Amino acid sequence: MTAAVDSTPAVSQAPAPVPSAASRIWGVVRIQYLNRYTFVGIPLIILAAAVVVSIAIYAMIGADSPMYGGAVQAPLWYFVGAGVQAMGLTFPFAQALTATRREFFLGTALAALLAASGLSLVVVLLGYLEQATNGYGINGYISRLPWLWEQGGAVAGLLYLSFTLLVFFVGFWMATLYRRGGALVVTLAAIGLGVLVVGTLFVITRFELWGDVVRVFAEAGPLGVTGVLCVLVALAALAGWLTLRRSTP
Amino acid sequence: MTAVIDVAHLTKTFKDVTAVDDLTLQVEENSITGLLGRNGSGKTTTMSILTAQDFPTTGTVRVFGEDPLENARVLSRLCFVRESQKYPDDFTAGHALRAAAMFFPRWDEAFARTLVADLRLPLTTRIKKLSRGQLSAVGVVIGLASRAEITFFDEPYLGLDAVARSLFYERLLQDYADHPRTIILSSHLIDEIADLIENVLLIDDGRLLLHESTDALRGRAVTLTGDAETVSHVIGTREILHRESLGRVASVTVMGTLTAAEADEAHRLGLEHSPVPLQQLIVRLSQRDQRSARSATQTTEKAAS
Repeated sequence: MTAAVDSTPAVSQAPAPVPSAASRIWGVVRIQYLNRYTFVGIPLIILAAAVVVSIAIYAMIGADSPMYGGAVQAPLWYFVGAGVQAMGLTFPFAQALTATRREFFLGTALAALLAASGLSLVVVLLGYLEQATNGYGINGYISRLPWLWEQGGAVAGLLYLSFTLLVFFVGFWMATLYRRGGALVVTLAAIGLGVLVVGTLFVITRFELWGDVVRVFAEAGPLGVTGVLCVLVALAALAGWLTLRRSTP
Repeated sequence: MTAVIDVAHLTKTFKDVTAVDDLTLQVEENSITGLLGRNGSGKTTTMSILTAQDFPTTGTVRVFGEDPLENARVLSRLCFVRESQKYPDDFTAGHALRAAAMFFPRWDEAFARTLVADLRLPLTTRIKKLSRGQLSAVGVVIGLASRAEITFFDEPYLGLDAVARSLFYERLLQDYADHPRTIILSSHLIDEIADLIENVLLIDDGRLLLHESTDALRGRAVTLTGDAETVSHVIGTREILHRESLGRVASVTVMGTLTAAEADEAHRLGLEHSPVPLQQLIVRLSQRDQRSARSATQTTEKAAS
């Protein structure tokens, strides 16, 4: 009879299983929400303040015909800052946590999509509230604007969502450019975008196309404009990703 | 032994600065390596490239046999908190540790709690408001509690007081014994980590000067102190790394060891011979390298003129 040979257990630990890509991307989303002020608290505070101030102004005016204001866009612009922060500060930390650039980009885009969707939903609910209360009882409207709601609350929400995302990705891209090339590159990019906008305005004015432009927007309706915005969102996101691919923390 | 890090002819240039210059090295699994060098010698850049936070200009990097770039399979087994680590705005140390717990598959929460208590790290203060030492402590806790298979510590002692520093070294050794892994510790406080590191990786100006086990390195030089003439007699033709003299007494550091007979003779002649502290040895060796580099340039210049 031969003595049984004990198999010696390996001293070193077996490598831990690699977490799935989905769980690592979701990890980035959770990091973006660990501090809830950035994506949830601050936009809601800005929105609440905009609503309160608008109602106060409407109450002071006290007109009989409906009053419309654009204060609802205030929290939307904050998403430039959210985009800048997500890139400028969270990216280096995500790198320390070994997230790849791809995981960081997808997780951050998903986090922004969730935040912008939530904000858009609140704005749409506010619109229905205005509808139900005849403009807070004083005939004043912030969210429920005539052209925007032409095709219903859902379309108005989508338009709001796509615009918020566009603003976010432009901020994200600018912050990524800053990381890659410093203030000069950002300035040049901003000037480039500015020239593009002014150039377009010049061409429209020079060839007296304003009537056509207004007609195009009127015909496209909120849904058509949302479609155009979605294309711009995709372009800004793509620009952000291409710049991020070679970024270092 | 298997090499978990394999770097071949790695070069990294930033505009007109060469941060890493033709670096070739391997790091064995389950070892503690000191990555030593002066400020700006390329330590952080090298670690950034190994962890795919930065890109090589030329050369290849293999970690666990694979290119780490955008490779979650490799990256999920690493941990690198840099000395100047940035955190999301308004994050507290508590937020940072919760995020780390989500990402590092081997994270040990109980260990993290103990370290936080030991290092007296406030968890609810915003990181922006932490002192330099507390900021380092965040990195130390993440680095240790992640138990990553390769963990990089980038000058983790900055701003830590003496108690916290020795606590860090103690915990590191203890946890390394319980959970063997590969640790790379960048530092310029060489003597403080001399007893901790098994291997020395010395880089200067982006180039590898030395890659040796600490024990072998210690045996490479010896210091003799005593009567100047007697010292000269005993060292013979050995290469002198450093000489200090005060009156007739000289203290000379030379390359090589003394044979038993020589040691006896030195003792008989009233000389004191002592091992060279690691830090001194490394300083002398880097100075020697600079001297030889200088004389090489001078020779070429002379030849050219």
